[in-house]
Amino acid sequence: MLEVQHLTKVYPDGTVALKDVSFSVQDGEFLVVIGLSGAGKSTLLRCINRLIEPSGGKILWNGIDVTEADPKSLRKIRRDFGMVFQQFNLVHRLSVQMNVLAGRLGYVSPTKSLLYRFNEEDYRLAEEALRKVGLLEMAYKRARELSGGQQQRVGIARALMQQPKVILADEPVASLDPVLAHSILGYLEQLNKEEGITVICSLHYLDLVQRYASRVIGLRGGQLVYEGSREDIRRMTDDQFKEVYGEEAERIAPPSLAGGTNDA
Amino acid sequence: MMPKFAWIFSILLPGLGQLVLGQVQRGVFALSGFLTSIALAYWRFSLLAPRETTLIGVLRRSLERRPGFTSFVLLLIALFWILGILDTLKLAHPGPGKKVRGLLSFFFTLSLLLFVLGWQISEIDVSRMVKDFNKAMTPLNRVLWPWKAAVTRDTRVLSARAEILEGEGTPPGKPVSKPGQPYVYAEPTVGIASKLDEKGQPVPGTIITLHGSGFEPNTKTDIWWEDPIGSRFQVRIGGEYLTVITDAEGKFSVQLPIPYSIIPPGAVKGPLIHYAEAQQIFPVGPLKPSTPFLEIVSRMVETIVMGLMATVLGILFAIPLSFLAARNIMHGSWIGMSIYYLMRFIMNVVRSIEPIIWAVIAVVWVGLGPFAGVIALTIHSIASLGKLYSEAIEGIDHGPIEAVQATGATKLQTIMFAVIPQMVSPFISFSIYRWDINVRMSTIIGMVGGGGVGFVLLQYVRLLDYQAAGIAVWFIAVTVAVLDYVSAEIRERMI
Ligand SMILES: Nc1ncnc2c1ncn2[C@@H]1O[C@H](COP(=O)(O)OP(=O)(O)OP(=O)(O)O)[C@@H](O)[C@H]1O
Ligand SMILES: [Mg+2]
Repeated sequence: MLEVQHLTKVYPDGTVALKDVSFSVQDGEFLVVIGLSGAGKSTLLRCINRLIEPSGGKILWNGIDVTEADPKSLRKIRRDFGMVFQQFNLVHRLSVQMNVLAGRLGYVSPTKSLLYRFNEEDYRLAEEALRKVGLLEMAYKRARELSGGQQQRVGIARALMQQPKVILADEPVASLDPVLAHSILGYLEQLNKEEGITVICSLHYLDLVQRYASRVIGLRGGQLVYEGSREDIRRMTDDQFKEVYGEEAERIAPPSLAGGTNDA
Repeated sequence: MMPKFAWIFSILLPGLGQLVLGQVQRGVFALSGFLTSIALAYWRFSLLAPRETTLIGVLRRSLERRPGFTSFVLLLIALFWILGILDTLKLAHPGPGKKVRGLLSFFFTLSLLLFVLGWQISEIDVSRMVKDFNKAMTPLNRVLWPWKAAVTRDTRVLSARAEILEGEGTPPGKPVSKPGQPYVYAEPTVGIASKLDEKGQPVPGTIITLHGSGFEPNTKTDIWWEDPIGSRFQVRIGGEYLTVITDAEGKFSVQLPIPYSIIPPGAVKGPLIHYAEAQQIFPVGPLKPSTPFLEIVSRMVETIVMGLMATVLGILFAIPLSFLAARNIMHGSWIGMSIYYLMRFIMNVVRSIEPIIWAVIAVVWVGLGPFAGVIALTIHSIASLGKLYSEAIEGIDHGPIEAVQATGATKLQTIMFAVIPQMVSPFISFSIYRWDINVRMSTIIGMVGGGGVGFVLLQYVRLLDYQAAGIAVWFIAVTVAVLDYVSAEIRERMI
């Protein structure tokens, strides 16, 4: 279980990105974070595995305080949190396989991996992860040669290599077209349902939120302003959504095309 | 009322009226252009009239010496002045509803004036260029097709000499002839040498006749001379080398005065014995590379190695320094930013001094030779590469770094997996680009003593050996072209 307590983040320039945010996530949830641009979604997700250093509050991961962890235990904690990014963040020059293997860096011996060498077992895991996202035949291509959707699948494969308990996804589909968006979120849903991986994901479009979320939290100006269950969110109208979200909110496509606000 | 009378200011000085009208750019441009041309014109006029002290005197004298140039410049200045007044009038009274627009001819006149002055200052002389073009033909031909000088052959020499006594004494006897050997004797074998009189005019010495036999028939034969102190030279008459063609039996006779030679008093004890020598030279054996050719090849290799060494050394120093000059590495602390600004400043200064100037300094520092060239190119490479590398470091994408960190990677792992892969392409690309520049530069850096092919090229030019110079030019051109191609190819493949 992940508990976020009174989390605050003030950037060096004085921007208050998060203000006293508290919530908790049960294992196996698909938690969606919504909020306007600049609301603090990315900051929140990055505070959880301390890519960004929180300025105050606590983050408890199965009872261990992440904010207090020394570098060694932080390394262990980070392995439990796979991360997927809006811009995919692959290393373009390296092969797809090497990008995926990078997901093992938290496990392998630091010195050996410096020469880009991994264990047999790691190669096997990489193959498995690539097969899961359907990109096995792309293993030896350079990452930058892949399309956006393929790159994001590599991003998911990299996160899977960590054998994570949680996947943090920061707008994983914002740079992709609607069809690809469903495909990527489909992978995340599959991991959530079949492997019990908790997913914490920020999203922009109401229909995607309604379709995939098991619970939703809303941020506005760095504060938690909304918390709703799966049922709450599915009952929500566009107008209610906009109230939390702001005027920018929109559907990814007309509801008839978006498909399945009510299929489970 | 100001706009109405702005033209009065333009009478005082071109540009003033425009300034008064608020046309600041136009006014400043006209005024500074006018003052510049006046200064340049006065400078050139006074060069034409060095002894004159008054303005009128200067103008009169230079009108005498260069009537065309002087009057044209004066005319243009006057025209510019008048057009400046008209321009002001036009600006002050724009037509109804029209955009304010001045005279185009105003600026055209200024440009023409500066162009005429520039033409005279740079001493452009088209007629001389056309007239003397033939002078350029000989060197040009040799430079363009120098390959005759690239090869040479071994030679066989047929020669024989005869003794001649300068001054008084017993004449030397005829040399002994051996059958099958070339043979010469002089007639007479005693005489006085050519001299210079008090006015420095040559006074020819005793005319002697050289008779030769036993030489190769119908072949050009050179006449050489060796004076009593042992200096040997080819005999010239009226500036031309003295040669003679042997007849069908291999015989010849040729007349010459005993040549002039400087013999320091007391340098020779006893009689002054000269030798006249007839010599035939025959090329034998296969063609082989000539000495200049071999010299140029080895200097070319030296040049390429210099460029390589400077590049490698430059890279080695530039990599650590580039981190100190990258904002995203150094930001955060006060000390870091000061180092960053200092590094940036030093790199910019060093980069703005051309390698050829660094070479001049390095030659003073470590003496002539390739080492000086390597120092010069290395210094410049460090600064340029340091700047390019640091910009590459500043340009790296933070996303992959974040992604690798998120996996639990250590700092070193993050550098290996997210930082270095992003820097490889620009680093390789910039380094090859620099190698290209360094080899180019090292071809000319030799001209100031920095070693390599430039050094010998300049030497051949000074010796008027245009063929050898041409070979060097060809080698440089081919090397640069090949390098261009290779570096483009490598960059394409690696990135
Ligand atoms: N490195 C930083 N330094 C200073 N301020 C920052 C920094 N990163 C983000 N901020 C500010 O913090 C606030 C929250 O930013 P954050 O990126 O978390 O928002 P977001 O909800 O992810 O927005 P978006 O939907 O546009 O990605 C914004 O006001 C942003 O300008
Ligand atoms: Mg964001």
